[in-house]
Amino acid sequence: MSGAWLLVPILLPVAGGLSMLRIRSSRLRRAVTLGVLSAQAVLFALLTFLVEGGEPLLYLGVDLPVRLHSDGVGRLFGLLVCLLWLAAAVYALDYMEHKENRARFFGFYLVSLGALMGICLAGNLITMYLFYEMMTMLTVPLVIHTQEKRAIAAGIKYLGFSVLGAGLSLFSFFFLRRYWADDLFAPGGILNPAATAGHEQLLLVLYLLMMIGFGAKAGMFPLFTWLPAAHPVAPSPASAVLSGLITKMGVLAILRVTWFVYGPELLAGTWAQNAALALALVTVFVGSMLAYKERVLKRRLAYSTVSQVSYILFGIFLLDGTALKGALLQLVFHAVAKNALFLAAGAMILAVGQTRVEGLRGVGARTPAALAGFALAALSLIGIPPTGGFLSKWYLVQGGLDAGLSGWGYAGLAVLMVSALLTAGYLLPVVLAGFFPQEGVQPPQQECPLSAGINGTVLLLAALTVALGLFPGLLDPLVEPALALLAPFGS
Amino acid sequence: MYTWICAALVLLPLAAAPVAALAGTRSGRARDNFTAAVTAGEFLLALALLSSGRAGALPLPRLCGLGLELQFGGLRSLLAFLAAVGWLSGTLMLREYFRGSAHQNRYYAFWLLTLGATAGVFLSADLLTTFVFFELMSFTSYVMVVHTQRPDAVRAGDTYLAVAVVCGLATLSGLMLLYRLTGTLNIDGLYDAVQAVPPGPALWTAGGLTVVGFAAKAGAFPLHIWLPTAHPAAPAPASGVLSGVILKAGVFGILAVSTQVFRFQTVWGNLLLAIGLVTMVLGAVLALFSVDLKRTLACSSISQIGFILTGIAMQCLLGEHGVVAAAGTMLHLVNHASIKLILFPAAGVIYCCLHSFDLNRIRGFGRDKPWLSAIVLIPTLSLAGVPGFSGYVSKTLLHESMVEYIHLVEGSPLLEAVYTGAEWIFLLTGGLTCAYLLKLFTAVFLEPPPRGCAPGHKVYMSRTSGLTLSCLALALLPLGLLPHRLMEPLARLAIPFVTDEALHEISYFTPGNLRGAIISIIIGLMVYLYVVRRLLIRENELGSRYLDRWPRRLNLENRVYRPLLLFVLPFLGAVAARLAETLVDGTLSLISRALYHRQTSTVEPDVDPEFAAFSSKPRPRQGFRYSFAYSLMLMGLGIAFCMLYLILR
Repeated sequence: MSGAWLLVPILLPVAGGLSMLRIRSSRLRRAVTLGVLSAQAVLFALLTFLVEGGEPLLYLGVDLPVRLHSDGVGRLFGLLVCLLWLAAAVYALDYMEHKENRARFFGFYLVSLGALMGICLAGNLITMYLFYEMMTMLTVPLVIHTQEKRAIAAGIKYLGFSVLGAGLSLFSFFFLRRYWADDLFAPGGILNPAATAGHEQLLLVLYLLMMIGFGAKAGMFPLFTWLPAAHPVAPSPASAVLSGLITKMGVLAILRVTWFVYGPELLAGTWAQNAALALALVTVFVGSMLAYKERVLKRRLAYSTVSQVSYILFGIFLLDGTALKGALLQLVFHAVAKNALFLAAGAMILAVGQTRVEGLRGVGARTPAALAGFALAALSLIGIPPTGGFLSKWYLVQGGLDAGLSGWGYAGLAVLMVSALLTAGYLLPVVLAGFFPQEGVQPPQQECPLSAGINGTVLLLAALTVALGLFPGLLDPLVEPALALLAPFGS
Repeated sequence: MYTWICAALVLLPLAAAPVAALAGTRSGRARDNFTAAVTAGEFLLALALLSSGRAGALPLPRLCGLGLELQFGGLRSLLAFLAAVGWLSGTLMLREYFRGSAHQNRYYAFWLLTLGATAGVFLSADLLTTFVFFELMSFTSYVMVVHTQRPDAVRAGDTYLAVAVVCGLATLSGLMLLYRLTGTLNIDGLYDAVQAVPPGPALWTAGGLTVVGFAAKAGAFPLHIWLPTAHPAAPAPASGVLSGVILKAGVFGILAVSTQVFRFQTVWGNLLLAIGLVTMVLGAVLALFSVDLKRTLACSSISQIGFILTGIAMQCLLGEHGVVAAAGTMLHLVNHASIKLILFPAAGVIYCCLHSFDLNRIRGFGRDKPWLSAIVLIPTLSLAGVPGFSGYVSKTLLHESMVEYIHLVEGSPLLEAVYTGAEWIFLLTGGLTCAYLLKLFTAVFLEPPPRGCAPGHKVYMSRTSGLTLSCLALALLPLGLLPHRLMEPLARLAIPFVTDEALHEISYFTPGNLRGAIISIIIGLMVYLYVVRRLLIRENELGSRYLDRWPRRLNLENRVYRPLLLFVLPFLGAVAARLAETLVDGTLSLISRALYHRQTSTVEPDVDPEFAAFSSKPRPRQGFRYSFAYSLMLMGLGIAFCMLYLILR
């Protein structure tokens, strides 16, 4: 079948989102949202198995083809996004009952999923860039949903950083397109050795620029400061997908450029790889440290995303099969755990109206389910066995020590452990003070009861972090094909 | 079938935990009975496993991604049995201790979870499995520590968890490095794998880091800081298992690493010996100064762990001849567990009546209670190492191993002097042990109660508690009387975990061996008479009063760890991180200011509702952006860039 079929999972959520303009009844909205998202997950899985695609669908200029294709990596990212988008939607449908402008929220919520699908299915850099910018534009309304002054300022910051990042990447793209014969992503790189000979330094500079550019979305140092501004001001379900999934699109772009455009052969051992590794590790530390010092719960979680997503980037930059496995597992575990954390935090904040960590002392008496979910997800993020985060760190460190860059392996181990300690330091006190407040501390007043949809989603995701940690074999059908594509090219 | 028993030992309590909590929401009685049934089942299973004498393994491939493995037989079955005993007796006594207190459902759920995790640690075949259950145990036992949620309990719990997390991460990194070096973490296969690794800093780092978490859990100096506050904070039956059983999980890890990774390494043996000696003296001195019954017992646990560590160190030093040290270590481990499983709950009985652990308030409680005195006297004499009790046997073996090593190094006077010094520290600590136990026993059972307090309490413990404690105490009694018949088989059972050598016959009641015990007891009496009675007790018109003479300033936790980890390091880290953050935002705002520097015209939307009007009127200029300083700064930056360009060109 032709690659045009891959337009279906991109257009379906767009159509669903546009239909929100006409829907007034909240029951119909619930039905349409859940229907579209469930159908989307099934369709995406089916079509990406059936259709490979890859042929040009459209020419933007003489030689700028738009291509859609599906491979193991796109399927992993795409399915993860579809499923967690659905989970967050179940939560959002209940959560947004307490907020204004629901039609607008769900409209953009669904439409932006189409853009994410486009990034996952993009077959070449320019297609990815198009959907990437589209995603930025479509998610700004989610950030500024409350229309408070703070939210609008954060939205503008988000827009500025994202466009700046994407612009840096586009800049590199213009240079880069002279060096490939065919622009369809291929594992191991597509740059033509005959053309690149003698231009390595230029290419490495471009690589680093692209990493910084796409790294903006993934919250990598130096362009990460939009993240703690933008994620907390959005409504909680939007924060969850912004932090858990949209940052992963930056990761996907970096993975595509590193493993599918440049290829490990060109990058391994160069200064650009070292610089990228250093940026990732600096981010891991800086994110955790700032999260530790932050008192507003959702901002704390946003800083935590900065740190945790860079674990994935570290694994990608190591250019090693085992480390890549760690990175892909971390991708899944972080997405699930961070969604759970943001949703749980949102639920607690909704229930008692306190946004700061101090205000949530004793909250376990009011929202035990949400805090229990928060606790399990926190353990996963710290990396306490048997939750998932433990396993991804294990592979990341083993890969780092294997990668032949033994200095980076040890540095990675040290930074990862310090970061895990800080993660424990910024997440566990919330749980401990929530469940075991000192005698005499009054729990905060309950302002609003939590529905089964909200508690259920949080607990489901939290249980998933434990289940996936105990039986990571469940992820093999998704992770192994992606690894099989790339691992042979690793060190 | 025994593999199934082994799996059930771990899974039964883990699965029963949520059921217990759910049952508790309906009826407290049902929950208590259910928990008692589960722990009794666990006890029977562990007994079956231990008495069968079978050994075997249960691999769980792909669980947790890397595969876990359980193993039973020998030391593992023995420790699992000890855990089951601890939990069964604890559960039976909790009912009385908890009468009418809050949060019981939560407590019972985590109590059972901790049992499952502890059994998992003891039955683990590889260090990864050990670590997985070890972390689980650390987190679930936290709930036991903070149970009362009193300020001191919350603080103790924080310290407990912080130590567990920090040191757990050290162990995790050690395991990662060790796995990278050897390719296996299986305890039985580790020694062979380590032989293939060139000795050097890599192996030392890996092994050393792995031990940290276990040492912290065992309460070894300088990671013992959580113990004197956490054990007393927990409910008394829980303190019993924390001290009696959970500490042993740490010892299990240390044993595994030092006999597999560092087998026969003299440097490691010496390091461990130093740590062991410091730990035993420190614990004993802290116990001697304490005026709180439970704190004394907790500090005594630190001290006894020092004895066990010394035993492990002697195994490393003695190498091929370490079987006596191994037997001493194993037996002391069992002894200490069973002793603390009696003493802590017995303290709980006192607390239930008087609601205090302060020696000055509980003084004389046991004067007219012969049953309780007898129950407490047996473990006390055993811990003091009085000949005829079990503690004497294990301490004699440990002492014997030190004497053996002194014979081995006879050629060198320096080494001989050093190890004779170590031997004397060992005997001295035995004396201190006698002294603090004498202090406790005299205070609680012999002295008159404080004036104005009727001794009263005709019914001071329930029949269940009394029976449980009596059974435990009676079980302890024959051990010491028939060491060859009862204790040596235990040692033979456990020794294969650390050495292939067979234990030879040892005569315990020779004059030479008795001498050590007698020296210790004499030291103990002297310390009691001259230090405790002179310095730590003040006589006044109201009677005598125990004084807390330990200087408050000598507190490693408050003086070093808390300031360092809570203020100094986070401050340095935060400065670096904030710098990184401001670097980006600062640069960007600088760029934007530079770009918008000369904006001279504005769009004024107010003039016409339909069209925006363009005005050439310049904006009011104010603020830093328009200042002379700003221009100077930009000029400076320009010059700096020029210089950089010139230098780098």
